[in-house]
This record gives sequence, structure tokens and C-alpha cells, in this order.
Amino acid sequence: MAKERKAWELKDVIMMAILGVVFAAVYMAVFQGGLALSTALTPFGLANFGFEIIYGVWFMAATLAAYIIRKPGVALITEMLASAIELLMGNSGGLTVVLTGFIQGLGAEAVFAAFRYRKWNIISMVLAGIASALLIFCYELYYLNYITLSPSLLIGQLSVRFISAALFSGVVCTLSGNALARTGVVRNYAIGASADIGRVYDEEEE
Amino acid sequence: MRSLNPACKFLSLLAVTMILASIRDPFWNLSAFAISMLLILASGVKPKTLLLLLVPVFLAAIGMFFTGYRFTAESAMPVRPDAFLIAGNSHIMNGITQLSRVLAYAGIGYLFALTTDRIIMVRSFQKQLHLPQVFAYGLLAAWGIFPHMALEYRRTKAAFRARGIKVFPISPSLLAPLLVKSVRWSEELSIAMESKGFSAKAERTDAMPIQIHKRDVAFTVLCCLILPATAILTH
Repeated sequence: MAKERKAWELKDVIMMAILGVVFAAVYMAVFQGGLALSTALTPFGLANFGFEIIYGVWFMAATLAAYIIRKPGVALITEMLASAIELLMGNSGGLTVVLTGFIQGLGAEAVFAAFRYRKWNIISMVLAGIASALLIFCYELYYLNYITLSPSLLIGQLSVRFISAALFSGVVCTLSGNALARTGVVRNYAIGASADIGRVYDEEEE
Repeated sequence: MRSLNPACKFLSLLAVTMILASIRDPFWNLSAFAISMLLILASGVKPKTLLLLLVPVFLAAIGMFFTGYRFTAESAMPVRPDAFLIAGNSHIMNGITQLSRVLAYAGIGYLFALTTDRIIMVRSFQKQLHLPQVFAYGLLAAWGIFPHMALEYRRTKAAFRARGIKVFPISPSLLAPLLVKSVRWSEELSIAMESKGFSAKAERTDAMPIQIHKRDVAFTVLCCLILPATAILTH
């Protein structure tokens, strides 16, 4: 029985993949703004900062799914599913997007594992986002050749990425997860068990 | 390119990408970009479609050129560019290397995306790369729902605007209704899929199994053996 409970159910997997889709849609919505800012900063050599500001959006699916489902492996698998969806969409970052998803998911998963999947609050969520940001930055030193750039620029980029990760995948995801729990729609997931559920919103009633 | 097995194509092009990442040579990067563009056009993609997709890529590439040009690691710093650049250590060359990387990665990424059927790709990953079927179904379901999700996001934003409420694109008040929809859709979809036999446990057979042909093997050998050998020999 215990083994059956641990197995992934189709409902969980679809939810994780759909969360990846939600944040892909959100990223597309903010991408134009990032691109415009990046273009404006190009003459100063600071184009990367345009995307660093919104970088935290990429980790949102992983942290929010883990916050809702609260099972080992959720952050890692959600981030990989989200990256596979990016691959299906046609990604300008190349085919290593799946590897990128694995690294980002690993960062968040490591933090939740360090808390033994027992601490689900804004601190663990912020740390999960920051760990994802740190791991993916280490990979980009090699993959995007950042290693040949000035260390002062890299420190600046990493700082902005940390703030973005803490804000979006930490603060915004915690608030969104709590708001979602209050609606009652996630009462079948772990987050629903500890939530103060109000009136359950149901489209059928309207 | 369209007739190649998606799993073989993915692994081959991934190998090319990783080779380009390790050799750091603008010549190879720009060659990979040019070949990718030719193959995409030869596969029947409209030039206008390709050009529109490439606009953000060109902007990002120019941005990376200026970043590489203005912020090259100096010799006094712990990391010096000449240790990592084959083509030299000038600021311009560093900029060109950064620019060419963006183009090469994007070119190869689009070559895969624009010449691959999404459904066949997931089925091929399931068959050849042993992707568990529960994840394959999850991916297909999410992919099918993507256009609705993007539309729902725009609708929710418009609804807030109609009420005179200004919301940030990633604000929790905008995300909450979207997430409620997502959870509901995921539950309804999983029930519908399971009722049609797409469950995590039940095995299914394929009417048209995805197979590997000789051309797939030839392409994989070309990308994983011949190209890297040429790149190493020419340096």
C-alpha cells in the first residue's frame, strides 16, 4: 500500500505539467518586456540584466508544485516537464533546455530535501529559488561562456538573479499557493490539509 | 530532417550543441547556425516565419556581443579569456564568440523544433528513450492545453483591466484564478484520460510504432562521431 501511495498518479503528473505550461505562458507575457529592457541596455553591455530580472519566473513551476503536492521529487520532475514543454514550444536557448530544467529542478529539490520535506514556508521557498539560480548560473559559466566575462559583471548578474528567484519563486509562489489553498480546489493535495479553506469556488454553481 | 526519428535527432543535435559549447570557436558556431538555417528552409519552413522567430535571437546575440566586448575578463582577474578562447583574447573576439554562441544554440534549437512533430516526438521519447508513459501522457495533455492557458491568462488580465484594477503580469491576484483553472483542468483531464485507457499502469500497444531506420543511424554517426572528429582535427 505504501508503495502504491508513492507512485506517480496521472493526476499529479498532469498538474505538474500544467503548472509548467502556466508559467511558460506567464514567461511569454513578460518576455517582451525583458527583451525591450535588454535591447535598451545593449549599448552599455548590460543586455543580460533585462532577462536576469525575470529569470526567477523559470523556477516558479518547480517551487509552486512542490509547495502544493509536498512529495519528494516533485520540484525536480516539474522543472523537467516544464523544460520538455519549452522544447515542444521551440526554444531559442537550444536543446540543452532539458538539461537546464534538470539542473534548476535539482537546486530546488536539494533545499526541500535538506528540510526533509517538512518545512513549507516562505523561507524554504526563497532558498529553493536561490539554490536553483545558483546551480544554473554555475552551468552557464561553461555553457554560455560567462567564464570569459568580467567577475564584477557576473556578480551583478548573479545578485539580480537571486533577487528575482527569491521574489518570484519564493514570495509570489508562497502567496499564490496560499491563495489557491484557500479556494479549496487543492483540498486533495497536501497543501489542502493544512489550509484554512473558505467557500469552495465552483464554476458549476454559477 | 522531418523524416528523422525524433529521439535520434534530439540526441544527435544535443551532442553537437555540447561539442560547440566545449570548443568555443566562432567559426564552428557560425557554421552550425548557417547549416541549421539552410536545413530549416530546405524542410519547407517559410522564410518569413523563420525571420520572425529569429528577431529576438538576433537582438539577444547583439546584446551578448556588447557584453563580451565591454566586459571581457582582464588579465589581472582570476579568469582570463585567452585560457578559454581559441580565436584570441581581444575584446572584439570575445564579443563575437558570445554572439556566435547565441546564434548557434538558437539555430540548432529551432532546427529541432521546426522540423519535428510534437506528438511523434513524445511517442519516440517513450519508445526509444524509455520515458515512463505517465510522463508522456502528462506532457501530451499539457501540450494540448497550452493554447487555452495562454488565452486564459490574457482573459484574466483583461478582466482585471475591465474592472479598473491594475495588475503586475506576475502578481498573485492574477495568478490565483489562473491556477484555480489549472487545477480543475488537470483533474478533469486526468479523469477523462483514465476513462479512455490512458492510465499510469495500463499497457497500450501502438498501431504505428516509432522505429529507428538506417538514415537515423547515419545522422547520429555524422553528428556524434564525424563532426567532433573533424572539429578536433582542424584544431
